[in-house]
Amino acid sequence: MKENKSILKKITGSREASLIIVLIILCIVIQFRSPSFLTLKSILDMLKNNANTMILTLGMLGVLLIGGIDISIASTLAFSGMSVGMLLKYGIISNTFLLFVIAISIGVLCGLLVGLVISRGKVLPIIATMGFMYIYRAMAYLIGNSQWASAENLGDFKNFALGKVLGLNNVIWIVIICYAIFFIVMKWTKTGRKVYAVGSNMEAAQISGINVKNIQLLVYTVMGTLAGLCGALTTAVYSSAQPNMAYAKEMDVIAACVIGGVSMSGGRGSVGGALLGSLILAIIAKALPLVGIDSIAQNTVKGVIILVVIVLNVLTQRAMDKNNLKGREM
Amino acid sequence: MAGKSGRTISATPEKSWKKMIFGWEGILILIFIAINIYFSIVSPSYQFANILREMPKYLTEVFLLLPMVYILVLGEIDISVGAIVCLSATMSCMASNNGMPFPAVALVCILVGTACGIVNGIVLINFTELPPMIVTLATQIIFRGIAEIALGSGGSISLSNADGFRSIAGKVGNLVPYIFFLVVIAAIIYGVVLAKTTFGRNIYAIGSNRIAAFYAGVHVQKIRLICYTLLGFMSGIAALFLTSVLYGANTTTGNGFEMDAIAMAVFGGVSNIGGKGRMPGAIISAFIIMCLRIGLGQRNTNPQVILLILGALLILSVLLPNISASLNLKKKTVK
Repeated sequence: MKENKSILKKITGSREASLIIVLIILCIVIQFRSPSFLTLKSILDMLKNNANTMILTLGMLGVLLIGGIDISIASTLAFSGMSVGMLLKYGIISNTFLLFVIAISIGVLCGLLVGLVISRGKVLPIIATMGFMYIYRAMAYLIGNSQWASAENLGDFKNFALGKVLGLNNVIWIVIICYAIFFIVMKWTKTGRKVYAVGSNMEAAQISGINVKNIQLLVYTVMGTLAGLCGALTTAVYSSAQPNMAYAKEMDVIAACVIGGVSMSGGRGSVGGALLGSLILAIIAKALPLVGIDSIAQNTVKGVIILVVIVLNVLTQRAMDKNNLKGREM
Repeated sequence: MAGKSGRTISATPEKSWKKMIFGWEGILILIFIAINIYFSIVSPSYQFANILREMPKYLTEVFLLLPMVYILVLGEIDISVGAIVCLSATMSCMASNNGMPFPAVALVCILVGTACGIVNGIVLINFTELPPMIVTLATQIIFRGIAEIALGSGGSISLSNADGFRSIAGKVGNLVPYIFFLVVIAAIIYGVVLAKTTFGRNIYAIGSNRIAAFYAGVHVQKIRLICYTLLGFMSGIAALFLTSVLYGANTTTGNGFEMDAIAMAVFGGVSNIGGKGRMPGAIISAFIIMCLRIGLGQRNTNPQVILLILGALLILSVLLPNISASLNLKKKTVK
């Protein structure tokens, strides 16, 4: 049976490899239709504009890995973004670093609360985060008090998204750092492996001595932290803070994870997959107008692509299972 | 039948008045009464006639709640209903503006909704490995996307001739709107079907243990398809009545309806683990939330505060029973 395991099979067997192929085909097709697509500037712009989705996808990866779900992140993002915007608008704090710290700590608190309710209160993740989705969104509105922060209110803060370190935009650096940390933690640390263990089989993980509750708490807190960070980032990138910012963003993030091969039932998925999933979504959104599809039809195309990807995923899985069975026959 | 813990489960559930009063439904009724007393004291305009006048807007969501309870009892979830409402409302407005008679418009609205439900159901029963959450997430984007394409760049449509829609927004004796009777009838039908028929018991069976239900001869996939189709059908009806209140549709019509419907059901004691929950609780909780919204709206409360309360209620309604159960467990183990 050994000769059967050709390179081709390895590629079709590995989720990331097939995603990379999809990504390359996508890029080539788009490049033919519109030569302005594969320029450095265009790619960097795309990364910058999709920074929040890419970062949130990491957190969602962790949450989905333990078999949970978090639909409150867009609200957390709006809450922390509005807090930053209001602090700047009323001139209370204008130090960029301090504002980031505040945004992140709001995110930590929000995530901690979600994690406590889910891990200690044993509330189903979808129900708990739906409740917090309402609550945090309402807080974003209440803190704004029917005001919003525009570019002139933001002062120096919005320059953060324009500044560069070593020729790369600050925002892109943050994305890279987040991915690097996550890659290392998920692959090579005990904590990362524990997350996988809890997701694959919660009872087995519990019996083998992993504190499942703490892992759950950790995952949701990290998710909240990243959402808080993204609140500040989004405010800086779009140089405005509105209470309805990033409305329904959580759905994009979940879609990116699922396209990237993260299983909704837990235990399966990787940082590379999350990266590729969010990149594919970002490229699709960027490419549709370039290819000549009306911007009105973008959502429909996006939805169809998500549906096709998940159905294809099931079909390949079935084919693989069938092949495995064949291998067992004498 | 001995369970995992060795306890036996009797075939017939024991009935007692204690369970009736101290059960979740009893608490919900108490909350309902308390809220009504509170608002009628603090707000002079919180009167029966005013409540009934403001009700139609909120009653449309009850149409979605009824089949959503079925889906939740199955242990599944459907987050595409808001988008289905949006698409059906858009299509019915377009049909009406193209000069179709009102019965045909109503038919278009309901058929569009049903078709969307069937699409959800067919994808889910053919690819059983897929979680309903992610499938309905994709179809949600697609349905709303189609509505966006149909609405064009303006993003909204208003009825040029609303006579037909006005006729269903009418009231009996200038007081009780038609939709109220329709909701009551639908609620009774859905409640009886869930509690008293084979179909309803099959839904509970699938929700408690899908594999066991399958081996017991329940047509699992057929029932799932029927439930998702029902949800689409009711979304069509909800869209019809929503249009009769709003006289138009736009790309944000029905935003968040799916969450509201799920929240009402969960607050009413239906959990999406599956196999648990009853229709009366869900309907009482729908009316509690409705009265809360009308009452707070009359007091000119910021609509966001209502969201805040809704979210807190949702979490607490699940959190508190869980905490008390774990405390009880601790007490028992100490003894």
